[in-house]
Amino acid sequence: MASDPAQATGDFLPSEDREPVNAVGAAKVIQSPPPEQPKSIWTRRYIIFSFWAIVVCFGLPLWIRTTTVYRADLPLRVMQQWADGLTCQFEVPLHVVVEAPGVSPTVAERLAQTLEEYYNEQNLFPIHGLRVTLSDPPQYDDGSQTPGSDRTGLAGASSNTVLTVRLKPSESESTALSRLDPYEAVLDVYYSPQHLETTRTTEPHTRWPFADVIVGEIQKVFAEEQAALAHLFINSGSPVKIDHLDELLYPQRKEKLARRATRSFKYAPVYHLTFSLFTPAATPSAWEIKAALDEYLEPLLRSFTTISNFTIDTQIQLFASFSPSIHGPLYDAESHLWTLQKTDLSGFINAAEWPLSPSIGEGPTINFILYVPGERATPLVIAETGGTSWLIPQWGGVQILNLERESGDRSMLTEADLKQVVFTFADQLTSLLGLPTSPASHALRISSLTRSHTISLILSASSTLGSLARLTQKLPQISIPDTVAKSVDMTIHHLESACNSLKAGEFSRALEHARTAEAEAEKAFFEPSMVGQVYFPDEHKVAVYLPLLGPVAVPLIMAVIKEVRAWRAARRKGG
Amino acid sequence: MLLSSLLALPAAVLAQTYTEHLHLSPLAHTSHLLAAFNFTSTTPLPAYESGHFTHFPRSLAQILQHTRTRELHLRFAWGRWDDEQWGPRPRDGRREGGTGVEIWAWLDSDDGGGVEERWSGLVNGLSGLFCASLNFIDSTRTTRPVLSFDPEGTHGDDNDVRGLELLHGTLPHEVVCTENLTPFLKLLPCKGKAGTMSIDVRPICPGGSGGGGECVLEIQQTVDVVLDVERSMRARGDPIPRPRPIEELECDQMKQYNGGDTCYPKVKEGEMGWSLSRIFGTPVRGNCHLADGHADADITLEVPSDRIVNVTNAQPLDLGSDHGVRSYRLPNHPPGQYTDLALPQQQLTARPITNAQPPLYATRTITGSGQQHGGMHARLRNPHPYPQVITYFESLPWFLRPYIHTLRVRDSETHEDVKLEKMFYTPAKDRERGTHLELMFTVPAKGEVELSYDFEKAVLRYTEYPPDANRGFDVAPAVIRVLPRTNDTSAARNEPASPWAEDRKQGSYIRTTSLLLPLPTPDFSMPYNVIILTSTVIALGFGSIFNLLTRRFVWAEEVPVGKLALRVKGLVGVVQGVVGRLKGTKAVGLGGGNGGGVGGGKG
Repeated sequence: MASDPAQATGDFLPSEDREPVNAVGAAKVIQSPPPEQPKSIWTRRYIIFSFWAIVVCFGLPLWIRTTTVYRADLPLRVMQQWADGLTCQFEVPLHVVVEAPGVSPTVAERLAQTLEEYYNEQNLFPIHGLRVTLSDPPQYDDGSQTPGSDRTGLAGASSNTVLTVRLKPSESESTALSRLDPYEAVLDVYYSPQHLETTRTTEPHTRWPFADVIVGEIQKVFAEEQAALAHLFINSGSPVKIDHLDELLYPQRKEKLARRATRSFKYAPVYHLTFSLFTPAATPSAWEIKAALDEYLEPLLRSFTTISNFTIDTQIQLFASFSPSIHGPLYDAESHLWTLQKTDLSGFINAAEWPLSPSIGEGPTINFILYVPGERATPLVIAETGGTSWLIPQWGGVQILNLERESGDRSMLTEADLKQVVFTFADQLTSLLGLPTSPASHALRISSLTRSHTISLILSASSTLGSLARLTQKLPQISIPDTVAKSVDMTIHHLESACNSLKAGEFSRALEHARTAEAEAEKAFFEPSMVGQVYFPDEHKVAVYLPLLGPVAVPLIMAVIKEVRAWRAARRKGG
Repeated sequence: MLLSSLLALPAAVLAQTYTEHLHLSPLAHTSHLLAAFNFTSTTPLPAYESGHFTHFPRSLAQILQHTRTRELHLRFAWGRWDDEQWGPRPRDGRREGGTGVEIWAWLDSDDGGGVEERWSGLVNGLSGLFCASLNFIDSTRTTRPVLSFDPEGTHGDDNDVRGLELLHGTLPHEVVCTENLTPFLKLLPCKGKAGTMSIDVRPICPGGSGGGGECVLEIQQTVDVVLDVERSMRARGDPIPRPRPIEELECDQMKQYNGGDTCYPKVKEGEMGWSLSRIFGTPVRGNCHLADGHADADITLEVPSDRIVNVTNAQPLDLGSDHGVRSYRLPNHPPGQYTDLALPQQQLTARPITNAQPPLYATRTITGSGQQHGGMHARLRNPHPYPQVITYFESLPWFLRPYIHTLRVRDSETHEDVKLEKMFYTPAKDRERGTHLELMFTVPAKGEVELSYDFEKAVLRYTEYPPDANRGFDVAPAVIRVLPRTNDTSAARNEPASPWAEDRKQGSYIRTTSLLLPLPTPDFSMPYNVIILTSTVIALGFGSIFNLLTRRFVWAEEVPVGKLALRVKGLVGVVQGVVGRLKGTKAVGLGGGNGGGVGGGKG
């Protein structure tokens, strides 16, 4: 150790004095080595320095570089901004077109202006803004088609119009009547000339009652949507501030919306519908389901095409038995009915034996089950309500079909048998898809669903981005492949497009962008190669290389320590 | 032995039917019973294509549609068919598979490169459906045979398979057990609750007569089980095999050493008694007759005509054809009633002489020794007095590299080369695909052909070894297809009553047993050893060089004694002093210092 002769002798001699036991050591003649040349001292220091330089400048970076995990650059700040809701100011302009064929253009113009003004000043929900325009005369001819024709998708991609207010002259003198078209997004308002005349009063502060009536109707149309959006913002933890929350979301409505949310499926671009016929006997072994679905369900599905697509498959399962967990149908002697207890409904589906596996491919499967009880257990009803159908939230619907025929042919269910069944299934489908129950017009409900899906997708993709950003910051050792960075870029791009389309009132395009953004965000978040690194942490890395690093580091460090000591001793001696 | 198979193929038969059938036949000379279950259902093709599956299992149909599979054959097999004793295989081996899992399917090929992807989707989907490791069938286990398989279904107008691609995969390592049968059962319209027997399912296709009626998709599920009668009838309440009490043993009293504690078991005489309920643990509790007008037999029993059969609750059908086959149809059971067949123990006067012989006897073995080289040797013996044209198909894993120039196909007696009529060979690519070898040649009448080639064993990468690498690697069985003879001989085969008499144009199939290939296996702690060894070597080298460069060299006498060395020396002296005192002698401190002087050397 003590290669410096001065230090060594200095330590050595007194210690020998102190330790007289060391008889043999004393017997030997100890010669001190000659003092070292300063040149060789400096050479040694250079050598040690260059070893350290190579290790620090080349070895360690190489080791770190070759064993480090790859992390692509992510726009963390932008991602966090999206999650905080700073980037997209939600704004949903509702384009309303006024069709007033019999009214003079100036009056119609003024009516449109007044409607927009009145609505926006009474509006409780600032995200919704009304923009009222006057329709061109040719559109009127177009719009006068009979309702229920194939133009159900009025709020489709071609037109940004959310609602058409159609003014129609009427004989009734007193009040203005309005009627919402059940199929199209059209509000018919019946007016008499005196309603329009009120405008002639030019005083600026008097209100125009006719316009107030129409605005009231329009508000009724959008009230539920506003509540639904408010509910969505609150539940998703979005930082968007909503004023007048209590007015929008009064308890009953809140409860209704919460129920709708728990029932309905998460949004997906494709849903698989599976219709299954279960029976405990060998009959019926055939059903005209194809014809019935084409006839009674297809129009409903077609109206959803702007939102989602559907695939349909059907199956028949004979000899299907109940699961042993339910008490089974009980015979009620008084009413001559077989009854199912309400508690049994949750266990009605025999998940272990009924082949109701999810479909292949993207998207959730919605199951619809038609149960035809055996001849001996007919009719079968639910004990408490006497009903025969119920809905299983986020899973599907169940229906019991009691065949009344006494001696007839049970082997085949005809289209007529299935008509009511398919109607019930269609009803269950709309609640499973989260379609709002009001307003009365189907087209308006669909467009309302489009908007709320868009906003919920944007919110969900944004929060996924935020989670990903937090994850990357929290776990510095996970790898981030380039695909993740690419997906994040795509997500942000599509989110921006969705937000802009929403502002421009192009709702179906906004939905498309939001859908892509959500898919990309999920892809980035659930990238499988990111997780693997967690199981190979830095400690493991060091442990594997310790047999090399340890023996190399010890002489290097010891050499430095010794050199420093020698230098200090020399300086002390010199000083 | 258990063989189960599944196949789906389009054929032109009556729409939407379902039949199930159990064929029972005791195997000659042994106490074994062959139970061949067979479940067939059909569904109209247009309905299937539009997603209305009716009785066709939806889970399977979706996989087939998703991967655009037109015809599928899936086999699970375990055990070996002893054709020396049991004769020809059931269904001429057409529903048989190699040990483990075997699958082949015709997929739509019209979009070029997507076939492999869809094939992988198919095996992955089936893997989930049948709880089997089918997903391990990757490109290295997939081949495209040319000669060995023909589609059984009707494809297009004149059975044009140009738009289809045949892919074949094997998984010889897979262990088949009841967990694969449970999903099988789920595919049946009636599940296990009704029908011929509450164990298994198989669908059959009653020959597609082209042209008649609309196209239907047919699914056949078959389960062929060879049961050891005695073992199957062992008491159900006590599944643990225990020695029988001495009173129940049947001893041969004629032996001279027979005594109170010694027993020579008596040779069983006559036919063994058995019944459905005792063999399967339950009688037949129902049927699964759909309302489709079928009136075929549900159970057929192939026993000599003088064998006594006690039938409970079943209608014997007189099908006219004799040949020792009895047919029964299950009635509609009221609850609590059941059907059973019981055959008592019986001495038959004239044992039936069964001269049915399998079309070919085949064995295949690996020869050679050592870690690097080996050889394959197959013997094919034709017991019939007429020559037979066969195709021989092998799909070898990539780590077995055959030398095709050493391929010899010779007649065992004359040692002359047999002329190969056709040969298809796709060489293996490391880690990408396996070898595909298909040969077509004629086995002479009453002759034997030997086929042999040498191969080399590859060394795998560390991560490519399975957990039990020292067990060896399974090599899939060879598939031998005996082509049907051109001149009609089906009459001569003398088995018209067999329920699988259709599709004879496919020829019959024989599979050899799977082989176990030992590969050189490394020591699996190797990477850590390598890390530690190289690190030590590097550290040693580094340490020496570094010390050489930074140390000062002085004479040995000049080496100063370090502090530590002095302290150690002092401590040793003290200890020795104490020891010496304890010993009580005057010998103090001798040799106390002689160890210490070396200490300076480490400086």
